[in-house]
Amino acid sequence: MPEALREHVVDTPEATALARWLEGEMRAHDVRVTRYERLPGGAIQDNFLLDVDVADGPFRGTHALVLRTDAPTAVAASLTRAQEFAVLRVAHDAGVAAPKPLFLCRDRRVIGREYFVMERLPGIAPGHRLTREAALVPDGDALARALGANLAKIHAIRPPIAVLDVLPPPAADPARATIAEYRGYLDGLEDAYPALECALRWCDVHAQSSHDVTLVHRDYRTGNYLVDAGWLTGVLDWEFAGFGDPREDLGWFTARCWRFAAPGREAGGIAALEPFLDGYESVAGWRIARADLDYWQLMAHLRWAIIALQQAQRHRAGGERSLELALTGRIVHELEYEALQLLAQIAR
Amino acid sequence: MSDISDAADLIATARDALLAELLPALPKDRRYTGLMIANAMAIAMREERLGFDAARSEAARLRNLLDAIGASPARAADPIESELATLRADIRDAIRDGRFDAPERWKTLIAALLHAASDRVAISNPKALRGEAAVAPR
Repeated sequence: MPEALREHVVDTPEATALARWLEGEMRAHDVRVTRYERLPGGAIQDNFLLDVDVADGPFRGTHALVLRTDAPTAVAASLTRAQEFAVLRVAHDAGVAAPKPLFLCRDRRVIGREYFVMERLPGIAPGHRLTREAALVPDGDALARALGANLAKIHAIRPPIAVLDVLPPPAADPARATIAEYRGYLDGLEDAYPALECALRWCDVHAQSSHDVTLVHRDYRTGNYLVDAGWLTGVLDWEFAGFGDPREDLGWFTARCWRFAAPGREAGGIAALEPFLDGYESVAGWRIARADLDYWQLMAHLRWAIIALQQAQRHRAGGERSLELALTGRIVHELEYEALQLLAQIAR
Repeated sequence: MSDISDAADLIATARDALLAELLPALPKDRRYTGLMIANAMAIAMREERLGFDAARSEAARLRNLLDAIGASPARAADPIESELATLRADIRDAIRDGRFDAPERWKTLIAALLHAASDRVAISNPKALRGEAAVAPR
């Protein structure tokens, strides 16, 4: 390594431990960490930017990486890092635009927690920027088509897949199983939520027979993918992935609650619905019916409301006082309002 | 207006000071926290102003809904929060039992709940009310 670069080596105990571990994984004698910083955001996962110089071996060169680990206060219902690593590998191998997973570490002696390392993709993710700053998305229709096609590639992954045996098996009737789970959760709370109950009742009465069961991402939405020069570079945050009804992802992506500054653009605040569904159909060979999309958008609002209530509970009852969690709880009001708007529109 | 600042005036004035004097001086990585505090204070101000009427009006709507299906609604109670909690639980039970499933009842139910939900959104995040889209469709 040139002498000038040695000054940039990060030599904190954690960075040094990572360098030694990477030497093993990369079959190298000399790996140096040149940058190691926590990335902002992520109430559930902790992500670190990690740059390394590898002096020798098959990975010789510089690498821009992300290290992903559990936040100190993780919530239930998300995958372990080992499960997420397995899902990401299957998705990446299937041609889904996503960061390439490199190495998994289950040995807690290295940094005290389980983690994995993946390649770092270029681009920006924040939904409030992508839906507001036209310069970031010069061609919204093209981006929406790419997002639709990419989602269909995820849904082309179907069970059984040996390496995904780590995931819970799919429910026989995903919609009704979810409805029962949400009602059970609401029953444990102090207050009743009539608007959410309406949405649950409607979804229960109108639940259709089950569709295909495929891999679903469960957080495929604006804010969770990277856009570089207007193009999709990769989908992030696979911690909620599992097997389920692919229409769930279509409803989640298009639900009004994930359109940020542009609620009039149904495809995630990026474009109209059509180019997104065109892209999806070009790979999947089928197109979701409007009534089914309404159904899964309603389910999306329900799911987000339940998650927001869980976050509020962490603050109110879980001994984890936090302004961010408290404000997330207030989002429930908007989600109730949106769910009712959808129900009013459907009843008309 | 009273001579001495009340709770609402104190929160409003404190929020103005936060936005005008502290926020610009905060380091970049603390700005988000500053904005969250300003948001929380704005919600508290709106709730102070609108919360009681919203709760009263929701209670009246829920009471009417229960009357219409022949359920005997909880008697008016004090404070309004505990009355509302009972009414909401009664509505939940009736919804789960399918007692609002008939099309006309269902429409009435959705309309009444939508009124109540709008009142709460007007407190929590008025920008989310329909007709307030920040960006036109592309």
